[in-house]
Amino acid sequence: MNNSQQRPVARKEGLVIQEMPDEVLVFDTETNKAHCLNETAAFVWKACNGTNSVADITQSFGNQSGKPVDENLVWLAIDQLNENNLLAENLQANFNGQSRREVIKKIGLAAVIALPIVSSLVAPSAALAVACTGNPNSPCTGNNNVLGRCCGGNCCEGQGFPCMGNTCG
Amino acid sequence: MLRTEPFDSVHLISMNGLPKRKDRFTENHIRFQAYGVKVGIEAEKQSHLKEIYSRLGRVFTGGLKPASESEIEYRFFVERTRGGVYELYRNDEKTIEESDKEIFFDSVESQIRVTIAEFAREKVFLHAGVIGWKGRAIIIPATSYSGKTTLVAELAKKGALYYSDEYAVLDADGNVEPFPKWLSLRGVIDDYTQLECSVESLGGAAGTETIPVKMILIARYDKKKKSPQKWRPKRLSGGQGMMEILPHTLPIRNKPEFVLKVLNKLVSRAIIVKTVRGEAKEFAETLLNFFEHHTDFNNP
Repeated sequence: MNNSQQRPVARKEGLVIQEMPDEVLVFDTETNKAHCLNETAAFVWKACNGTNSVADITQSFGNQSGKPVDENLVWLAIDQLNENNLLAENLQANFNGQSRREVIKKIGLAAVIALPIVSSLVAPSAALAVACTGNPNSPCTGNNNVLGRCCGGNCCEGQGFPCMGNTCG
Repeated sequence: MLRTEPFDSVHLISMNGLPKRKDRFTENHIRFQAYGVKVGIEAEKQSHLKEIYSRLGRVFTGGLKPASESEIEYRFFVERTRGGVYELYRNDEKTIEESDKEIFFDSVESQIRVTIAEFAREKVFLHAGVIGWKGRAIIIPATSYSGKTTLVAELAKKGALYYSDEYAVLDADGNVEPFPKWLSLRGVIDDYTQLECSVESLGGAAGTETIPVKMILIARYDKKKKSPQKWRPKRLSGGQGMMEILPHTLPIRNKPEFVLKVLNKLVSRAIIVKTVRGEAKEFAETLLNFFEHHTDFNNP
């Protein structure tokens, strides 16, 4: 199948979706990851209904913005959606032999439309989101092991979380 | 909400006839509810219960309602081993083991508080400092050791109403309720030990009304940073703001749908700014000036 004719499908299961004026916030209940889709990424994601082809989405986005849109812009969005597990089926972005960086540079210079951005973070458990007590430089022993403290630069929870300030991120 | 009752009068109840955790376990317990979360605490010694109850009283200053045994959702058991180690169990799972008594009871209070904050009915708890100014709130989501309490205390000294140095408690409309626990100031004894004090002892006053939030401040402290003549913080979009707030949102994993709805209401009405700030005393003045000039106090 021609790349332009691929029909991506947005994942819906296991996601909590919050529409905002120019963005969409998506919370993945399986991974506890939150994703913020800017206007461009949100448009593409919403258009991924399994019926629209990439070419259709490109045209539709162009019509909506009133400006011609490079298909690579849509692929850039799809690439990030794919990377963040926001598509129902894996779809590899194809930039016709160019690297993603080259495409971003090329489109970014010419575009009057914002590049698609999907920013993500892992939402911490409640215990990890709260105050540390005691000295954060003390070793991970006893109680320090259970409250998600960062001690001596390590997250004591032992679940591979990094330290963000003095709490485990 | 009822005022906190004296410890000995209502909450200390014999466990006779109720199942006991392990054969050797306690006869004493406290049962209460806060924000709709029903909690039971059991301990070998009354002195341990008193210790916990006293700490909870400084956190839940609005009081704790009694709860009945059949309602209890979260049970905490406190015991001390023969080796002198204090242990806390939550619903039969050991969650704390600590030999230092002060650290242990600090951690017990923290864990009970977090449980309530995570499972509170129809509320969203953010780890944040909160002040009120002319009936509108500024919330300051931040991690521990970020100078949140110091900034809140300075704002309170300048006439802002103290709402919390720990939690922004949001209702379903995204408005913030008072959670005026005693302030936990660091840097008085050393950089880590917290000194608990009331806002009144600092010459401030606590807010009593639920108010709309008009500003969300994402600030990182840098002691070298001087407050500029004209402060121009970076403005964030609603989505960017949500991403900054989510790491400080306790119930996000537990009730994401409700949380996102509430946060959406919150960010849609507030300006969200991100900055690096200097000393709290200087910055408090800058912040209040900015808030004065960028807030429509007539618009809820």
